[in-house]
Amino acid sequence: MMRNIIPLPVLIRRLLFLSFFILMINLRTLAQQREYTFNQPGNECYMSYICFAPDTDYLNVKRPFIFILGKGNQSAFQVFSEDTLRNSKQFYHYQFVYIPNKGETPRQKLNCVESLASLVTHNFQYGHINVFFNVNDRDLERKDLIDMGLKSVFKSAILRSEIKDSLSSNQLTDNVFSEFKETEIKDLSKKPKEDIGVYYSEENKDNESGTDSTETKARKIYFGPPSALNYTLTGQVRDKSTGEALPFANVIVKGTTIGTSTNTDGYFTLLKVPTDTSTLIVQYIGYEKAESYLTPATPKKNYIIEVRSQSQNLQNVTVTAHRDEVVFVKKAEVSTIKMTPKKLEMLPSMGEKDILRSFQLMPGVSASNESSSGLYVRGGTPDQNLVLYDGFTVYHVDHLYGFYSAFNYNALKDVQLYKGGFESRFGGRISSVTEITSKEGNSKNINLGGDLSLLSMNIFAEIPVGDKITSFFAFRKSYQGGLYDLIFKKFNTRPSTAATESPDGGRRFFQNQEVTSYFYDLNGKITYKPSERDIISLSIFNGIDKLDNSSASSFSGFGGSGFGGLGLNSTDLTKYGNVGSSLKWSRKWSPKLYGNTILSYSNYFSRRDRSQDRTLFGQNNTSSTSRNGILEHNDIKDYSLRSDYQLDIAEFSQVQFGAFTTMFDVKYSYGQSDTLNILDKNGKAYLGGIYLQDKLKFFNDKLEILPGLRTSYFASTGKMYLEPRASVSYNLTEKIQIKAAYGKYYQFANRVTREDILSGSRDFWILADGKSVPTSSAVHYITGVSYESTNYVLSIEGYYKFINNLTEYSLRVNPSPLGIKYNENFFNGYGYARGLEFLIQKNSGNFNGWVSYSLGEARNHFDAYSDGYYPANQDVTHEFKIVGLYKLRRWDFSANWIFATGRPYTSPSGAYSVTLLDGNTQDFFTVTSKNSLRMPDYHRLDVSASYKLLMGRRGDLKRRELGNISFSLFNIYNRQNLWYKEYTIVESNVIVSNISYLGITPNLTISLKIR
Amino acid sequence: MKLRFLILSILIISSMISCNKSDNSEFTDTPVIEAYLKPGENPVVKIRRQIPFSSVVSYSSDSLNNLDVRIISNNISTRLICVGDTEYIGKSLIIKEGERYDLSFLFNGKTVYAYTNVPSRPTNFAESVKSISLQKTDSTSGPQQMGSMPDPVALTWDNSDGSYYIVVIENMATTLIPIRSFGSREPPGNRFRKAPTTASGLTLMPMEFQYFGKHRLILYHVLPDYAALYNQQESSSLNLTNPSTSIINGYGIFTGLNADTLYIDVLQSTL
Repeated sequence: MMRNIIPLPVLIRRLLFLSFFILMINLRTLAQQREYTFNQPGNECYMSYICFAPDTDYLNVKRPFIFILGKGNQSAFQVFSEDTLRNSKQFYHYQFVYIPNKGETPRQKLNCVESLASLVTHNFQYGHINVFFNVNDRDLERKDLIDMGLKSVFKSAILRSEIKDSLSSNQLTDNVFSEFKETEIKDLSKKPKEDIGVYYSEENKDNESGTDSTETKARKIYFGPPSALNYTLTGQVRDKSTGEALPFANVIVKGTTIGTSTNTDGYFTLLKVPTDTSTLIVQYIGYEKAESYLTPATPKKNYIIEVRSQSQNLQNVTVTAHRDEVVFVKKAEVSTIKMTPKKLEMLPSMGEKDILRSFQLMPGVSASNESSSGLYVRGGTPDQNLVLYDGFTVYHVDHLYGFYSAFNYNALKDVQLYKGGFESRFGGRISSVTEITSKEGNSKNINLGGDLSLLSMNIFAEIPVGDKITSFFAFRKSYQGGLYDLIFKKFNTRPSTAATESPDGGRRFFQNQEVTSYFYDLNGKITYKPSERDIISLSIFNGIDKLDNSSASSFSGFGGSGFGGLGLNSTDLTKYGNVGSSLKWSRKWSPKLYGNTILSYSNYFSRRDRSQDRTLFGQNNTSSTSRNGILEHNDIKDYSLRSDYQLDIAEFSQVQFGAFTTMFDVKYSYGQSDTLNILDKNGKAYLGGIYLQDKLKFFNDKLEILPGLRTSYFASTGKMYLEPRASVSYNLTEKIQIKAAYGKYYQFANRVTREDILSGSRDFWILADGKSVPTSSAVHYITGVSYESTNYVLSIEGYYKFINNLTEYSLRVNPSPLGIKYNENFFNGYGYARGLEFLIQKNSGNFNGWVSYSLGEARNHFDAYSDGYYPANQDVTHEFKIVGLYKLRRWDFSANWIFATGRPYTSPSGAYSVTLLDGNTQDFFTVTSKNSLRMPDYHRLDVSASYKLLMGRRGDLKRRELGNISFSLFNIYNRQNLWYKEYTIVESNVIVSNISYLGITPNLTISLKIR
Repeated sequence: MKLRFLILSILIISSMISCNKSDNSEFTDTPVIEAYLKPGENPVVKIRRQIPFSSVVSYSSDSLNNLDVRIISNNISTRLICVGDTEYIGKSLIIKEGERYDLSFLFNGKTVYAYTNVPSRPTNFAESVKSISLQKTDSTSGPQQMGSMPDPVALTWDNSDGSYYIVVIENMATTLIPIRSFGSREPPGNRFRKAPTTASGLTLMPMEFQYFGKHRLILYHVLPDYAALYNQQESSSLNLTNPSTSIINGYGIFTGLNADTLYIDVLQSTL
């Protein structure tokens, strides 16, 4: 049954071996000095020399250098061993070069110094003014240096032969400090940029001369010695133009592996900043890389770093694997993708810019399901993906049959997708986590904006109130234009309606059809910052879909019959939506302790009524009404309270812990007529628990381990659930990183599939009860390698997941023949998913993009359906995606091509009839083995072009970006990708209708904003 | 070293993946059973094949007329004899109320199995009237006058345990005299039935009768699996579900039932 699957002990052994192997390779590189060889053997200047940078930043050459020549016949290592200068904190940001003393004559001894200095300083990029020479050889005199032409090479030199033995060590030190003091050099960084708003100066791209901007890129202004070493710095990263806090931004000490990322409120804590003259690098997708130079005057608490969104040089790709943003990213998360809505217009869209759709272009997230915005991650289903919106759980993310997601991209600030092996702070789902942070709103200025596309209108407002309150509101509503109708009709092309069937040859016939369908969503957030330590925010989200395809008919009375008339109301109404809200209080209790508490409410409801009301009017004004069809209601209420804390207890250890509690109230009913209620399942249950995890860093932060434990109590089953998890990442080199993760996951609220072969399966949310619906669980094993250079990212990840206690509901199979209890038609099974993901990404230059390939297998095993494993509904074997983005002045062009193996399905295979007791025969139909057939392969090509709208006139020095016009063509070669097959059985023959996804679909979106 | 490591890690990752072939096929030759076990009668089991939708299917080589079909009851195994046309009869076995019957035979390499028991005979089956009178109407006589309809017929029986009951109404006349003109429609048959119910009674509307004459009212005490056939019939045909049965490795119905009968006269009123 489980053949071909590696047993757990073997897997663990392999991983242990792997870890040991890596450790051995890297122990030798832990020493900080670096030894190099100069020239080839036989060359006059062939030698070994040693470089040492106290701040470990070996790449930076815009810094002071001290060259130290050893005593007679000393090797570089001997010089290095005897040297004490490098321990002075004044020289922390210097680089030392230890030169061996070779030869007998001064000429031999000094012959190669200049060429070595030129090499090491990259031809004196920082000038000669900060290059110093320390000569320990008593035999060498200043005259010798002058003779060798070294006077112009070094700013100053200290010679041992000139130092009087009577000098005290203090005097000696003072002398060295004054001789080797760094001299300020004007920053040579590029032209400065404007501060507020996003500006574009493509018209002046050849004009590199400076502007009269009031603000410039941060530049080094302090050249003195540091006043603090290895200290703790706390602060916040914000958007320069809006003041919006930026979550999950990377903050790294330049030239080191020391780094962290900001939390959801944009706060960060760096526990061992080497000096207060270090440089911080802040990286956030869609924003320019910012460098922040620390000085002793820089606040060590609440230090605000502001970064600006990309304007002129839009070179980075919008979407990028989190680990893959830049070479020096220190974050060591496994299977994490991060995205910001900035520049989302660059990617082709299906009518609406949609951030969840964009995730589907990454490996491991299936892109072939146009009818689901919910993410199918690594063989998991959308309900197994936890969607957190500002801290509350969103249970249903689809608009308009799933073609669009419920999230208005204008309202979003940041989205993180954890594809598997996620941390202990998340729970309640067995596949993945999507963590969405909405915008707080501009804290500096009022901003208004909106979009108009062929599908919807979208407006937003950002209104700051005083210094402490910001607010953000967005509203989007569809209108029933061509695109809406196109999708709506796809779902509502029923072959016949009851209204055309007139029983007993009615004489008159009326049909009224008034259909109103729409979706809307509303996002709001008010953030109040009463102090520098506290943030209180209230976030509200509401989205509704109403899909109505009802009709009404009436028939007049029939001659001679007993009827007075017949009314026929055909209802086809689906209404669903989410209402959610969270109240969050974040507080920085101390520089090392940060916590937030979230009180939230989330409600998902779905009412589906696809039925006919038949009203019989008697002649004596009596009437009787009966209703037949499908009546399906689902309602979830989730009341939650949780607190999360992070405590930096040591420079190598950050402990995160928290507690959570949820009260679930889930109702589901499914009926086929007003008298035949097939299933009624209501559940109320309490879930509570705690978690603890510790982010540990070792070996200069090269090794990061995150063990964690989550434990929950679920009242419905009365059991405790333990979820041990761990992830490891290791920087093999600066460019190669390996990672692995393991985790156990439980899910208490499940979306159960109600199997329906003919008209498509449906899902409903239900609580685990420990009996017919057990608590589902999964175990993840993940390992991967990534390689990152400045321009490219390569990543390979493999995963294996075993999933237990899956539940499906089917009327096709009957568990108890001598008693029909539809409540028992739940079937349980297990399954596994495994796969490999490859990603090659080019993330610089005007032309960039990525290629991804996923090889996957998702298998389920339900005794009720099959004796063995069968392909799960969401199984896709091969998925290949290529995304290309090209920037040309004000234009952004993009194209993507997607190929995916068709999904499995089950179809009717035959028919039989049974003679009933009243003499009639009834036909029944049989189906193929579960999911034994495959849809044709899915593929499509999308393209888009976006043009920036700028304020001002052509030729203006700088023009503010006002918005953009984007045009996209979805499915450009009009591939008829199969969505599902609908079967109509007419006189024991099956008529198959192929329902396709969208064909070629153009869209035009105009986006405008005042800031 | 790095290269070796990369290869090693790729190997480890790859080893988590390997091929797994599934043996699912499009059509499975699964037999269809039809058997109603009535007390006092010999068991009759019809075994047939499904009609495949696809023309390219492979059937089992087993002959439907040559199966070893057995029913076990009270530890006694009775072999059913094929009397032709894939119909099997257990001539030495008389079905008894309250007994359990287990059916099994081998087909297409699988044991087909089903079981059922025979429910009790309905008790206290009663009707509110023995006869009703209806006016004959034709296409020229126009609508009936108000108040001319007789009261509905109430049928009652005992049902303390919420069992399923079905009423089938059968006109016993050899020549059917329609109550109403059917116009161009095809005349309905001489039988109609009411939906399965777990109640202890139901009403027959006078307008449900199509023909004059003596009618047999058969009240079947059925098992839920049989009632489910009707539920399926009533639901949309788009809802593809097989009837809930006890049959393993087969389709159809294998169920016990028991019945009681009353009569009612539908008279032509002379008004």
